[in-house]
Amino acid sequence: MPLGLNFTQIFLHLFNFLLLFAILYFLLYKPVKNFMVHRQEVYRKEAEETSQNLEKSEKARAEYEEKLAQADREIAGLKAKSGEEAQAHYDRQVKAAKDEAEKILRDAREEAERQKAAIVQEAQKDISDLVTDAAEKLALHQSSQENFEKFLDTVEAGRAEAKN
Amino acid sequence: MSKKQQRKMTVIFVVIGVLLLAGIFLTAGASAQEEDIVTVIRDAVIHDTNKIALFGLEVNPGLISGLAVTGILTVFALIVRIFVIPKFTLVPGRFQMILETMVGYFSGLAEDSSPHKNRLLSAYIFAAGLYIFTGTMLELFGIQVVTTAGHSVALPAPLSDINGAIMMGCTSYLFIVVGGILNNGLGGVKGALKEFSLPISMSFRLFGALVSGAIVTELVYYYTALSYVVPVLVGVLFTCLHALIQAYVLTMLVALFYGEVSEPSEKKLRKLAAKAQKTEVRTAEAA
Repeated sequence: MPLGLNFTQIFLHLFNFLLLFAILYFLLYKPVKNFMVHRQEVYRKEAEETSQNLEKSEKARAEYEEKLAQADREIAGLKAKSGEEAQAHYDRQVKAAKDEAEKILRDAREEAERQKAAIVQEAQKDISDLVTDAAEKLALHQSSQENFEKFLDTVEAGRAEAKN
Repeated sequence: MSKKQQRKMTVIFVVIGVLLLAGIFLTAGASAQEEDIVTVIRDAVIHDTNKIALFGLEVNPGLISGLAVTGILTVFALIVRIFVIPKFTLVPGRFQMILETMVGYFSGLAEDSSPHKNRLLSAYIFAAGLYIFTGTMLELFGIQVVTTAGHSVALPAPLSDINGAIMMGCTSYLFIVVGGILNNGLGGVKGALKEFSLPISMSFRLFGALVSGAIVTELVYYYTALSYVVPVLVGVLFTCLHALIQAYVLTMLVALFYGEVSEPSEKKLRKLAAKAQKTEVRTAEAA
């Protein structure tokens, strides 16, 4: 055969290569490939689990956030309510204090008026007593009309002062 | 590197150079070759002189190389299967990484070239790529065998034997044709038969590339004077390079043509789409 071609040797080469193909496929290629697929599967599962866990935690976070918002709303409501109550209580207290103060002031005024009236009355009485004493003294020591007129003026002036 | 170290390195290189030159001149003419260079090169191409006895048959050294490659790879695969693969971890070590990169490369090439069907293709190109690469690298070791004439020859790359190259080219072509038939019926065969020159081009590309490497190596080693330093370039680097390149070229071509012939035709795609639609409707009805 030209170029050293030999069909027997070609078939021997073919047999050798097919044998090698089978050996490499079953001993090397398939187990390594299977392991690579297995690893891919493991990582895919892990990724899936991670994604599911992430989804769950996102869901839980949303729930907690909703609960927190709800709690915040409740707290704000309670705060507003207690604020209102405190304001009402404060208003009541202030009103009561004002009423009390007004009452005290009124009582004080009344008392002051009473005391004033009593003092004036007492003063008038004292003045009257003084005047009476003075008049008696004057009547005893002076009998002139002039002195009597003076005496009357003094009395009048004393009354006017007492009124003011 | 300090000046002292540089001086030391220069002295070492000069001494090595002088020793090599001394070796070249002292051994010039001392070695007597059994065959002349023309016979050696002719034998490297057509293997008509040096035959090896194999179970009563006289075969080319390339076939012995092929069997040696199968033996080496079988032992390697067995060791890996028994001792390494059971200890594989999810986070790979260095050796596991190398194995996975090899398998992943061929698997990825098959998936890219033939997205529809690629399981068999990836296994085939893995085996073919490994066979070509390991076979070519075998040249480097210069394993000696005795011919029927009593000469000693180094084992060449299995595919530098024309019978081995034709086997690889034709098997690859047949594999492509079978892939076409399995995936597209007679339509696939038509696609593969259009590329009727493919087995010839694949066979002779492999044969040409590997036999040229073998001829250069033979030339280099034939002359004693060239046996110093030069083999580092032409022997090691060229062998490594063409081992990689030829493994890459053949596997790439097989993957591309297989992908082309196994691609579902428009008619088949329409059928598949209709089938998928029907299944969807049924599922929706059942739901």
